[in-house]
Amino acid sequence: MNPTLQRIGIILLVSGVLAVVANSVHPRKIPWVQDWSRHVEAKATKQKIKVIPLSVALEKFQTLESIFIDARSAEEFEQGHIPRAASIPFESLDEYFPILGGLIDSGRELILYCKTRECDDALMLAIELQKMGASNLVLYVDGFELWEKHGGEVER
Amino acid sequence: MTRDQKIYRLAYWIASFIIAVILLSGYHKIIYPADFALSVYRFHLLPDALVNAASLYFSWLEIGCGICLLLIPKYRVAALWVALVLLMFFTGGIAINLLRGSAFSCGCFSRSPLARPMDWLSVARNIGLILLAAMALLGSQKTR
Repeated sequence: MNPTLQRIGIILLVSGVLAVVANSVHPRKIPWVQDWSRHVEAKATKQKIKVIPLSVALEKFQTLESIFIDARSAEEFEQGHIPRAASIPFESLDEYFPILGGLIDSGRELILYCKTRECDDALMLAIELQKMGASNLVLYVDGFELWEKHGGEVER
Repeated sequence: MTRDQKIYRLAYWIASFIIAVILLSGYHKIIYPADFALSVYRFHLLPDALVNAASLYFSWLEIGCGICLLLIPKYRVAALWVALVLLMFFTGGIAINLLRGSAFSCGCFSRSPLARPMDWLSVARNIGLILLAAMALLGSQKTR
C-alpha cells in the first residue's frame, strides 16, 4: 500500500480517537448528536425569517435604516435597550397591536431581538408579525445580553 | 541537490509552515466545541445528527494536520493532502452559503459574535491556501 495513503489513514484515525477522548473529558463537552431542530435559528429558518448575528446587527444599527423591536418584558426594556428600539413585549402582545400596524406600514426592515440566543420571544413575535402581513423581518439572534457585553450602544 | 531542488524544498517548507500555523490558529474550536458546532450547523450542509460529530472531528483533524506539518516530517505530505481536501470542503461550504445569503461568520478563526461575516474575501483567502498546499505538494514531489 502507498505509504502516503497509509499515513493519511493514520491521521484520520488518530484525529477521530483524539476527538472521542477529548470530548469525553472536556469540561465543555457537547453531545455527539443534538436536536438542532429545537434551536431558535432552525425554527426561524423554517419560517423563512432571516437571521443575523451581532456583527451585522451593529452595522444595521449604524445605518439607521432598520427599526429594532425589543420583544423582552417592559421591565427588562426599562433597564436597558438598544437605542431607538420599540418595546413590544411578546408576553403582552395584545396591547401593542396598533403600534405593530404602524411598524409594518412603515415599510422599513424590522429587526427583532430578545435576551439571549436561547430565548424565543423575538421569534414568536416575528411569526405573529408575519401573520399580520410583515415581510421585511429579521431576527437578531445573539440577543441584548451579547449586544451590551460587546459594547453596543445602550439606552436606559 | 540542484539549485532548483533547493528552491522547491524551501517552497515546500515555507508553504507547510504557513498552512500549519493557519490550521493551529483554529484552536478555539477545541476549547469551545459548542461554539464551533453552532458554526457548523449554520452552514446548513450536514444532516442535524452529524453536526456535532463533524465539528468535533474536523477541529481535531485540523490540529492533527497542523502538528504533523510542523513536527512530524514523515507525515507532512499526508497532512498536506488532508489539509488540501479540508480546505476545498470548507471553501465550497462558504461559497454555497454566500450564494444562499448567509450573514454569519464561518467560525474559521474566531468564535466572537463580532467576527466578520463570511464574504468572497474568505473564499479568495481559502483559494490562496489551497494553492499554497498544492505548491507544497509539488515542491515535495520535485525534491524526491
